[in-house]
Amino acid sequence: MILNGVAIDDTFAEAFGMRATRIIVTALNLKWAYEAARTMTGFATSVIGCGCEAGIERELTPDETPDGRPGLAVLLFAVSSKELAKQVERRVGQCVLTSPTSAAFSGIDGEPVALGKNLRFFGDGYQMSKVIGGRRYWRVPVMDGEFLCEETTGMVRAVGGGNFLVLATGPAEALAACEAAIDAMSKVRGAIMPFPGGIVRSGSKVGSKYRALSASTNDAYCPTLRGAVDSALSPDIGAVLEIVIDGLTETDVRNAMRAGVEAVCHVGAAGGVRRVSAGNYGGKLGPFHFHLREILA
Amino acid sequence: MTELCLTLKHTPAQMVDVSALTPDLLAGKSREDILRIELLSGNRKLRVADLFDLSGNDAQPSLTIRASTDRLASIGARMQSGSIAIAGDCGPYVGLGMRGGKIVVHGTAAAFVGCGMRGGSIEVRGDAGDFVGGALPGDKQGMRGGSVVIHGNAGDRAGDRMRRGIILIAGDAGAYCGSRMLAGTIVVSGRVGHWPGFGLKRGTLLLAHPPPEMPATFQDAGEHELLFLALLSRQFEREGGPFKTFLPLSNRVRRYCGDLATGGNGEILLGLSSQT
Repeated sequence: MILNGVAIDDTFAEAFGMRATRIIVTALNLKWAYEAARTMTGFATSVIGCGCEAGIERELTPDETPDGRPGLAVLLFAVSSKELAKQVERRVGQCVLTSPTSAAFSGIDGEPVALGKNLRFFGDGYQMSKVIGGRRYWRVPVMDGEFLCEETTGMVRAVGGGNFLVLATGPAEALAACEAAIDAMSKVRGAIMPFPGGIVRSGSKVGSKYRALSASTNDAYCPTLRGAVDSALSPDIGAVLEIVIDGLTETDVRNAMRAGVEAVCHVGAAGGVRRVSAGNYGGKLGPFHFHLREILA
Repeated sequence: MTELCLTLKHTPAQMVDVSALTPDLLAGKSREDILRIELLSGNRKLRVADLFDLSGNDAQPSLTIRASTDRLASIGARMQSGSIAIAGDCGPYVGLGMRGGKIVVHGTAAAFVGCGMRGGSIEVRGDAGDFVGGALPGDKQGMRGGSVVIHGNAGDRAGDRMRRGIILIAGDAGAYCGSRMLAGTIVVSGRVGHWPGFGLKRGTLLLAHPPPEMPATFQDAGEHELLFLALLSRQFEREGGPFKTFLPLSNRVRRYCGDLATGGNGEILLGLSSQT
């Protein structure tokens, strides 16, 4: 399969089951909603070292937020419900509670996970509960007024680790194609790309020559190692970048992958893109398989 | 199947406890069964047939009581589901301890409307007596959930020992509004009597007008924009119907902390838009 001069590998991305939640962060204006949301989703690129993967799903208009202010929908993904609960509490407590004029609400129904349930104790007894429309909110007094936070958010089963690789003639070409992909993918609801700017350059393989490491650089896709290892790259490939996708459902991941790969192909061979591939572990580890050619069919 | 309608034949000499006549308790009963139901009136027992004419045969999901008077007590007490429309006035304890469903009183209601209720909604189109959403004497907690809307005036001690839920009073409220309240929200669009929030531990009294005198145990915390009021406004919009009467709610209020004699974790909020 070749689209606009870009070869689509006959392979698939292998993804895993995760636990996820959506949190709505609002503030006095969009600038401060972004400050809170970006801080909350910072250092959340990979569950391996960050505890969770998180990102901003989309902007919300005042009509879409519970308090009628500008806001953002944030998605958090973790490998277990326990870890998700820990990360939600820690990140909302350290990054949203602290951010001027912010408020946090549940953005999804599901198994309840504490949101303001424990953060309320920051109020040192001056916190107040309000049950409005069957949902409990906490009003925690802070120095700019009150931090309003819903008691719980919903946790759902989700899909993490959808991915594709962009193989191009050089780093600038690969990056430009991936940026186009991220622009298109960020319009897809229910999915986030957790790495910096949505793009990852340090794809990994399982295992390492060093016993302490469980993962190490994906040497087969490192252009500087061509010749030294069993490389997956032809001589015309100068750089490879990867986009990793976490989605609330299999369909969300598929939609985001389709939007991304189509955008990459739109850049095409003229933009220096040569191939699109995907990462997997032979299909034995992850229950979700996203075949590139099926997605684009 | 047509909606069951109970029409009072005559005003009973004494108060009659009609708590047995709720949609959930009457569900599946035949007309004859309903007519045989015994109702307590003082130390006597009356049958439904002695008091009411029946029309229709299905109490689920709704039931109407026509020509109702203030001698009918405990209408809709402990009801779980369905709705009761009361054409006329009703006696005390309407919706006592109710857990779900809806009661609409088209006339006035006597004392203890929604006393100890845990869920559901009560709407009184006329005035209501004392202890709206209050606690039964001896009970530690009053209303524990649900909503009560009074279109007219409410008597004294509305929300006494209230624990959760919301009481909306479109007219005036009497003295000691929100007395000994533990939590929950009371909104009064009219004026309140003396000593609002007496013994208030937690919870919110949202008043459109300042009380005749702010109790000395409430301290001014200044003007603030409180975000939860935006949530409350949106909820009123969603609920629609009688809730819309209370819109718009101003997010900007003057906050008084109190009652400092009992911890001071409650508040009286004065809506600034209509403050006089």
